[in-house]
Amino acid sequence: MAGAGKTAAVPPSVVHDRSNFLGARIPTEVDALPKHLQDLDKEAFRKLLRAVVKALEGEDSRESVRKIAESGVVPEERMSYIIAGMYTLLKEALRLPLSSLKQEVFKEDLRDLRRAELEAAAALERPQLPSIVDFKWRVDVTISTSSLARALQPSILMQMKLSDGTAYRFEVPVSKFQELRYNVALILKEMNDLEKRSVLKIQD
Amino acid sequence: MASIIKETQSIKEAVVLINGIDSGKFPRLLSRILQRLHLKAERSFSDEEEEKLQMALSLEKSNLHLVIETVSFILEQAVYHNIKPASLQQQLENIHLSPEKAEAFTQIWASSGQESIEKFRQRMFAPKKLENIGWQLSLQMSQSSQAKVKSPCAVLELGINSEDSEDSEKMFLEFNHNNLLHFYNKLETIQSQLDSLT
Repeated sequence: MAGAGKTAAVPPSVVHDRSNFLGARIPTEVDALPKHLQDLDKEAFRKLLRAVVKALEGEDSRESVRKIAESGVVPEERMSYIIAGMYTLLKEALRLPLSSLKQEVFKEDLRDLRRAELEAAAALERPQLPSIVDFKWRVDVTISTSSLARALQPSILMQMKLSDGTAYRFEVPVSKFQELRYNVALILKEMNDLEKRSVLKIQD
Repeated sequence: MASIIKETQSIKEAVVLINGIDSGKFPRLLSRILQRLHLKAERSFSDEEEEKLQMALSLEKSNLHLVIETVSFILEQAVYHNIKPASLQQQLENIHLSPEKAEAFTQIWASSGQESIEKFRQRMFAPKKLENIGWQLSLQMSQSSQAKVKSPCAVLELGINSEDSEDSEKMFLEFNHNNLLHFYNKLETIQSQLDSLT
């Protein structure tokens, strides 16, 4: 599976019983694609798509990409996002044998990715508890204190800004940190199990 | 090693008193003081316990206080310098503590000293500290703007306690799968930093 590894989105587990052709984890660059394709000039889109396809076929498409960049139709940064997204998307689609990825399925999956964007927007409208907007941390080592000439004790300082505007700064003893990490991993595992089960059992 | 206990007037007086204490009762006194050494805000003994001690050790109130303070001081210095038992014994003899009392100190220090030091190490002072972690996972089925949702939603409860006051705050954080994954990755980064320290 295209490893974007650590930062990837999970597509809505609705409608289909099968997972998206991109797998359970959508690579970041593909997830960001709908946003960047919005209001994109059709001709520019076609040119970029052609350049990406050429690259996938093994041809050097640097010249074509340069031309598009020079035309100024698409800002360079946005272009890199689009190219990255398209490249990954097509690369994955092309990996699968023709029999397993039919055109309809491909279209459906692409639509799902779009829906993920819409759903994210809808999700903001429901009543919810605050979430973390900004998370900063640092690891300190206490060298000495008034009680110990040589302490050499590590600790962690965390600062969190929440969506409701509140901010918290607090220390986390190493042992508590391990507990936190363990629990978060446990919740993630539970979420995975829940998602697998809900795809199989809960009928719409 | 350099002397960790200066022989002041106060120390001299205390030493005389300590030397006079019944040798059978001394180790228990030492042990108790060492156990509670890291609880800086609290006294080693309650009022009742002090009264009983006064009787048991035949010491007047002020003398008892001096003894307790001095024993505490000696042990605090031992912790601060992470002194070796043999060194401690030498230092105590230097301030003219009787051999048996010095021996008692050394015994207690050899057996429970490291434990005490560890307690001090764990005691970081910070205005706010994370003390409690709780969580809840639910599957959101629908909401007022969408009918069929089916998204897992986790709520993390973090209990933060304040050093000086009894105040404790509770943070309730909500996460969907994505956010939680991002958060976890950051925790993993912190872990690798911790690992690089050892």
